[in-house]
Amino acid sequence: MRAKSIKSIGWDALKALVVVVVLCWSLAPIVFMVTSSVKPGQDIFAVPPHWSFAPTVQHYVALWAKWQAFFHGLINSLIVTVGATVLVIVASTMAGFAYSRSRTPFLRRSATFLIVVRLLPPIVVTLPLFGAANAVGLNDTHLILILLYATFFVSLGTILMRTFIDQIPYELDEAAMVDGANRATILWTIIRPLAKQGMLAVSVFVIVYAWNEFLFAFIFTSTRAKTAPLVISEMMGSLDGVDWGVLFAASTVQLLPILLFVMLMQKHLVAGLTGGAVKG
Amino acid sequence: MTAQSIREAAARDPGITRRLRALLASRTGAALPLIAPAQSLVLSLLVIPGLYVMWLSLQESTFGMSPHFVGLANYTHVLGDAYFWRALLNTMIIVVVVVHVELLLGLGLALLFASGLPAKRWLLAAILAPYAVSEVSAAVIWRFMFDAQAGPANLALQALGLPALEWSINPNHGLALVSLLSVWLNLPFTFMILYAARLSIPGELYEAAKVDGATPPQCFRRITLPLLMPAILLAMLFRYIFVFRIFSEVWLVTGGGPARQTEVVGVYLYQEAFTFNAFGGASASGWIMLLISLLLGAGYMVALRRQSLGNAR
Repeated sequence: MRAKSIKSIGWDALKALVVVVVLCWSLAPIVFMVTSSVKPGQDIFAVPPHWSFAPTVQHYVALWAKWQAFFHGLINSLIVTVGATVLVIVASTMAGFAYSRSRTPFLRRSATFLIVVRLLPPIVVTLPLFGAANAVGLNDTHLILILLYATFFVSLGTILMRTFIDQIPYELDEAAMVDGANRATILWTIIRPLAKQGMLAVSVFVIVYAWNEFLFAFIFTSTRAKTAPLVISEMMGSLDGVDWGVLFAASTVQLLPILLFVMLMQKHLVAGLTGGAVKG
Repeated sequence: MTAQSIREAAARDPGITRRLRALLASRTGAALPLIAPAQSLVLSLLVIPGLYVMWLSLQESTFGMSPHFVGLANYTHVLGDAYFWRALLNTMIIVVVVVHVELLLGLGLALLFASGLPAKRWLLAAILAPYAVSEVSAAVIWRFMFDAQAGPANLALQALGLPALEWSINPNHGLALVSLLSVWLNLPFTFMILYAARLSIPGELYEAAKVDGATPPQCFRRITLPLLMPAILLAMLFRYIFVFRIFSEVWLVTGGGPARQTEVVGVYLYQEAFTFNAFGGASASGWIMLLISLLLGAGYMVALRRQSLGNAR
């Protein structure tokens, strides 16, 4: 008995060690970034790193003074994120409802098609779209980013919504049909309230993607619709030397709201990844 | 109604097939307005541009010049370009390293979490944190962590007597940093897929095995691993396809340098199109990229079918 308990203590100690390593791996880079954003300039590059320092907001003040473009970028990011999320939720719920309730061979093929086209790498379609967007005056607008972000998430959104709507009993539809409701009414009065979990799960994915996306913003926006990540990348590549303090401040401001959001929505994220099958 | 009972009914009443077809057509027709928004987004912004790239890849074109047909010249140009092969090799290295390291770590973590941990909710939140970080912020963080003078990670390496990562000078170190960053950013996703799959294995299986006197390694080999295999395979192919299109991480960390030695296919394509204005070459490399993705996707579909067959059995 005694040998066994020693063994189990050893096992617990090993587990604890692994957990500590995992926590460091996951959180240390983020902690370094956030703490460096409130370190006085000379302390950021101190060797060895300074653990105690007088916290300062000087980098945030400098960010506000020198990089107004960053705050415009945050507003642009917000507009694009909200727009893309609304579009994906509406389009995915409609399509998910259709694919869940009407399973004809044609519709089954069209659902597969929606997944297969996601194999196209985003950077490949930027080539013709850049010229096309230019021709119709969509370059450097919020709309082009909203449309692109929605396009790249509508497949996953539809499949997820179908899985969630599958769990709503078809008898409810039938009862409404007996009462003379058409598809639009059923979608609005029955499916919409009952599929809220699914919509939340889909929105978590879209919001994180749209808030953080770089490639499309880099290619399709230049001044007016520039998003926050793009402004940060410009700070990183600025010619007169990188001001790390300001860069950390900007990265922190960009990260904290979405990090908080992911933490709050953790349950829905897990539900989305498991198609609502496992309650996390 | 099963296919067989439909066939039997059709034998009794020949008109039924016609009516069934009409019914299916009317159901499809009624569903069309509902799928229209999703399908038109995908058609207009993915499928048509994708096909147009194929046409572009057979033309020579640049800004302010009308394209003219050149056959496969763009493909021979790209396939004869040493930078393209270097980019393809770099992409392959990153894909192989990132996907497999992610799977191993993700699997280990999933098993660790399933074996029971205190404060699981908080630990889970900590593991998920990098999922919220943008590629740009991740590049800022990891460039600082491995800064040549004061990077904490480089200092730690030196304290352990190991060589520091000279990612801005040495291409191999650059690729290593990009891979490290990619694993860090995407591990939460891979972990969640594997953890969810592990949670869906019924506990009774382990209890039954325990009653039969199975040791933990036997349980892992005979229960956990085979039942996780479909999820592992799916996560792997999924990640192969997504890591293959890597662009931002490389662009933001090394910019493809020094001397274009750390470029990946995505960066090569961007350079061709937007730095050298060679749309033909860019389109050709785009189609090569697409074909490789389709091949990977075919593997994905085969695995998916095999899995759903396995479920049906």
